[in-house]
Amino acid sequence: MSSLSPAPSIDYKALVQDDRIHASLYTDPRIFDDEMERIFRRGWVFVGHDSEIPGAGDFVTRRIGTEPVIMVRGTDGAVAVFVNRCMHRGTMVCPADRGHARTFTCPYHGWTYDVSGALLGVPYPGGYTAFDKSTHGLARAPRVSSYRGFVFASLSPTGIPLSEHLGSATKLFDRSCDLSPAGAVELTAGWVKHHCAANWKALPENDSDGYHLGFVHRALFSTVRTQYQRVVGEEKAIKAVVRDWGNGHMEIDWSPGYQGPFEWLGGASGSAVTEFVAALERRDGTDLARRRILEGPAHALIFPNLFLGETNIAIVEPLGVEECVHWHTPMFLKGVPEFNSRLLRMAEAGMGPASFLMPEDLTVAARNQLGLHARTVAWLELGRGLNRERVDAEGRTVSHVTDETTNRALWRHYRTVMTEA
Amino acid sequence: MLSDTEYRAVVEFVYREARLADEARYAEWLALWTDDGVYWMPATTDPGADPDKHISHIYDNRGRLETRIKLLQTGYRYSQEPASLMRRLVSNIEAAPADNGELVVESNFALAELAIQAKREMHWWVGRTTHRLRRVGGELKMCRKKVVLVNAAEPLPNLAFLI
Repeated sequence: MSSLSPAPSIDYKALVQDDRIHASLYTDPRIFDDEMERIFRRGWVFVGHDSEIPGAGDFVTRRIGTEPVIMVRGTDGAVAVFVNRCMHRGTMVCPADRGHARTFTCPYHGWTYDVSGALLGVPYPGGYTAFDKSTHGLARAPRVSSYRGFVFASLSPTGIPLSEHLGSATKLFDRSCDLSPAGAVELTAGWVKHHCAANWKALPENDSDGYHLGFVHRALFSTVRTQYQRVVGEEKAIKAVVRDWGNGHMEIDWSPGYQGPFEWLGGASGSAVTEFVAALERRDGTDLARRRILEGPAHALIFPNLFLGETNIAIVEPLGVEECVHWHTPMFLKGVPEFNSRLLRMAEAGMGPASFLMPEDLTVAARNQLGLHARTVAWLELGRGLNRERVDAEGRTVSHVTDETTNRALWRHYRTVMTEA
Repeated sequence: MLSDTEYRAVVEFVYREARLADEARYAEWLALWTDDGVYWMPATTDPGADPDKHISHIYDNRGRLETRIKLLQTGYRYSQEPASLMRRLVSNIEAAPADNGELVVESNFALAELAIQAKREMHWWVGRTTHRLRRVGGELKMCRKKVVLVNAAEPLPNLAFLI
């Protein structure tokens, strides 16, 4: 008698080393499946923002990893995340990107659910002897939690709370949200979805890579002046830093290189700006308000799929081991509608398939993915900057903006998540 | 209703614009625009989309249009280096005069793109274009071009060429 033996499990400790990682992490479909389970099902994943569903019955559909979900505001005002799958035969119940609903009806056999997920009715109930509707409501993400309107869900009933997952990285959300005099951002402009022919991890790594700018984006930097000009000069003159916030969260902090307010916005003046600054000063006092408009919003990756991309918010959506989607929307500052059309135009300039930045990133990412199929050379370097990292007073590792501190932050946490019991 | 002569001029303009875009003849394509041109590609197929409220794939004024062209001319716009090989078919052309003497031209297009920068894939782009044309010194110029892809709201690969 022979029996099927389980496939040998993958040795993530061998593949993810302190100063190098193995190419199969980007190309092996078994690893992708492990990630969907360990990172996207068990962990906390960004789903959407409060401002996308302001009223009861408002919903958006998203995916947690590869699992389709509906994020909906219930009649009690609370946000719930349901698995977008009929409890009967598995059909996706809601095909729309977004909308408003009182009920979700499965098109296959008419099973109907309300926005609290409860099963309201089953056509022709005579086919069951004692059908218990209460045990056939839509499956829900067992844990949903939010910070400053950013809604996260976990498909696992157990695990650390969101507050522990985010840790001190809540300060990165604060940095962006507190730029609004009303203390909130609004994601109401809709999303652009940019298809990427690379493994999903290429996106958080690239979004936090301060080394590539002057090369990948040479066309833009040689054509127009941008807020990134100061990071493409001589190595020792660059003041921006990268920072590891723990739990896979990491950032590029441009602000040490800024010399005046609003450089992150490409400059700002006029009466709307004066009123905006005055509103911040009333709330925060002069010193803090001035620091906010000098430093600007966060440029940070929240593990695994949220990018606080300065004046944009982006989502990383894995599709398969070699494809993913980068979603983005402008981050509107509540209380300053005068800024919104400008933030829209900035989003279109920088992000998306027809913009002036991301097409280069995703072309290089696709070429990176092709190169990673080589196995004559199977390792990617991860050691840049190990010679000059320092630990700041709050225990965060900081280094020169071109260093791979951010990559190491991601991969160290990845190794923990992929190997823990 | 346009005269046959006017309609023919419109068709020739639309075909020429398509060919210049297909062949990456950037400077000649840019010369088809008026100084107040607006090049708009919504990120939704919703006809009520408002470019001041909703994100677009492209919403270029003249200045940004010139930047778009300059990037392509640097030789470092890697998403178009080398330029995609493209041919588009333009059809169903309907033209009508607007109140101010400009012409509103609607048409459908189907564009085959060989994206040769990385994976060498054929991409298939289909949509509807609305041109707004104006006579400037006896020549037709574009003062507005709106392109609505049938899949405007879906994940799209790079679109750094002229569509």
